[in-house]
Amino acid sequence: MSNDVWVVADLKLDGTIRKVTFEALSEAKNKLVGKLGGQLCAVLLGSGVSGLEAELGKYGAEKVYVVDSDLLKDFNTEGYVNALGELIKQNEPAVVIAGNTVFGQDYFPRAAARVGAGVAMDAISIDLSGDNKLQIERYSHSSKAIQTQVFHGDKTMMATVRPNSFKDVESPATPEVISGSVEVNPADVHMKVLELQTKESDRPELTEAERVVAGGRGLASEENFKYIYELADILGAAAGATRAAVDAGYCPYDMQVGQTGKAVSPNLYIGIAISGSVQHFAGMGSSKVIVAINKDPEAPIFQKCDYGIVGDLFDILPPFTADVKALLSEG
Amino acid sequence: MKILAIVSQTQDTEAKIQVSASGDSIETGDMKWIMNPYDEFAVEEAIQTKEKHGGEVVIVSIGPARVIDTIRQALAMGADSAVHINGDSFAETDSYATGAIIASEIKKLGEFDIIFTGMKIIDEESGQVGVQIAEELGIPHVSLVSKVSEINADAKKAVCQKEIDGGHVVVEVPLPCLITCPDAMNEPRYASLPGIMKAKKKPLTEVGIDDINFDGLGFGKESVSKEGARVKTTSIEVPQIERKLKIIKGSDEPMVKGEEITKSAQELIKLLREDAKVI
Repeated sequence: MSNDVWVVADLKLDGTIRKVTFEALSEAKNKLVGKLGGQLCAVLLGSGVSGLEAELGKYGAEKVYVVDSDLLKDFNTEGYVNALGELIKQNEPAVVIAGNTVFGQDYFPRAAARVGAGVAMDAISIDLSGDNKLQIERYSHSSKAIQTQVFHGDKTMMATVRPNSFKDVESPATPEVISGSVEVNPADVHMKVLELQTKESDRPELTEAERVVAGGRGLASEENFKYIYELADILGAAAGATRAAVDAGYCPYDMQVGQTGKAVSPNLYIGIAISGSVQHFAGMGSSKVIVAINKDPEAPIFQKCDYGIVGDLFDILPPFTADVKALLSEG
Repeated sequence: MKILAIVSQTQDTEAKIQVSASGDSIETGDMKWIMNPYDEFAVEEAIQTKEKHGGEVVIVSIGPARVIDTIRQALAMGADSAVHINGDSFAETDSYATGAIIASEIKKLGEFDIIFTGMKIIDEESGQVGVQIAEELGIPHVSLVSKVSEINADAKKAVCQKEIDGGHVVVEVPLPCLITCPDAMNEPRYASLPGIMKAKKKPLTEVGIDDINFDGLGFGKESVSKEGARVKTTSIEVPQIERKLKIIKGSDEPMVKGEEITKSAQELIKLLREDAKVI
């Protein structure tokens, strides 16, 4: 077993690296690498990914393991599990971290099972225990509780981390690139990606956005969600929704925030016509500042937000949006 | 087709939770136990698959004696038989051992075509067990499937739709495979009264810890405990986030109206800029 700490790069559909990767590199360097005494390494998996190594070095990666293969195209789960599993078996790092994105949740626990490693999902803090075992904190029980989990045994310790939990801090290094040490085994890839559609959007992704504007069923129609999008765009925010709004067909499922949707923890969360159910708060309750606009003074959200207006969104939003726009354009 | 659904029992999400005296778990004393909501989608999908393609649905569940209520619910919905891996220690072990034991019992059931299970359990919210079971069984998995658009039992393949960050994919996967079910994949049926009556007579196999074949699992019987976990929960807290609760209301009635509207919008912006410093 080496003392190295690895971070697996999480790529967007456009081939760029997600911010959570830089956050994980920064936090691993800050909390784990010094004490363990090994190197901070990045793992770059995908098809046509060579060239991104320098960007990983910018956040402190001293070494980058690259597996560039056609079999990793279109985020093929089995290819990723094979490549990461082989890399871990060959090099036996102490810790492996990845982003808790939709794809991370898919391939990462399976790769852990392949190498017999324990895995902790969706960590919001990472550290080492007294005897240098990985120790993490994570939400459980509809985000009403925070668990501390500590690893045991002498296997590689693996964890995914929640986006927006750590600061990304540049710490330039020129990484040594290790390419081709692992070949993806075609016999291990059984599934085929028949089609991959990218949703065009200029808005940031929900899980990594610093601001989120979300709407509930009170928006009353798909068309009225324009109020949400307009405010979101002025604030440079991601647009979200409650399950009720998604179920009513006002917006697509990938906008759903909550226990059954995405977990977000932005600096600013503005909930419009959202009542504030336990299930919705499970997905956004850790936001730093929560703002509510709702016409029902009894809505539970008013018991657990920072700022709010009791008012009709159709009255409040037009002047609010216009004033925010004016303010931000002043700079 | 032989269709499996792996279901778990969990605590109701609406429940108010309290940390137990030991500080490392949640007090379960008078809590209501329910079928993990995501597993309801798995059971429904399994039953719909049977209705379309014929065959049988087998429920597999692990946990203490109380889990029988959840198994009966799945049988009442329309599953045909069940395996209950029954023991108190299973409630204490980590996800890794849980997944490995479920997989080893599934291997004893002989050939099967497809397995459905929920994307995660709402108490631990970890979402690793289903994927791990697929790995232990050596079959492919597709997680967070929004729709199974085609199952071809003869050609032994399925086509699944799933949402990913920033996109949508269509995946073709050979059978047998494991599929994890997200929210709103379908509308789980309620158990009918005749269904509940019939469920009592459906075959149920109980497996105890001594029936488990630990050879080849990579850990022993003693690891099925809190102490044996690879990832141990050492403490649990219920955090209280203090919120500012600065709510702007109307002067006559709670809702702001008329002239108050623009004023309230300006006031909120001022608070966000000067008090919270977020815009």
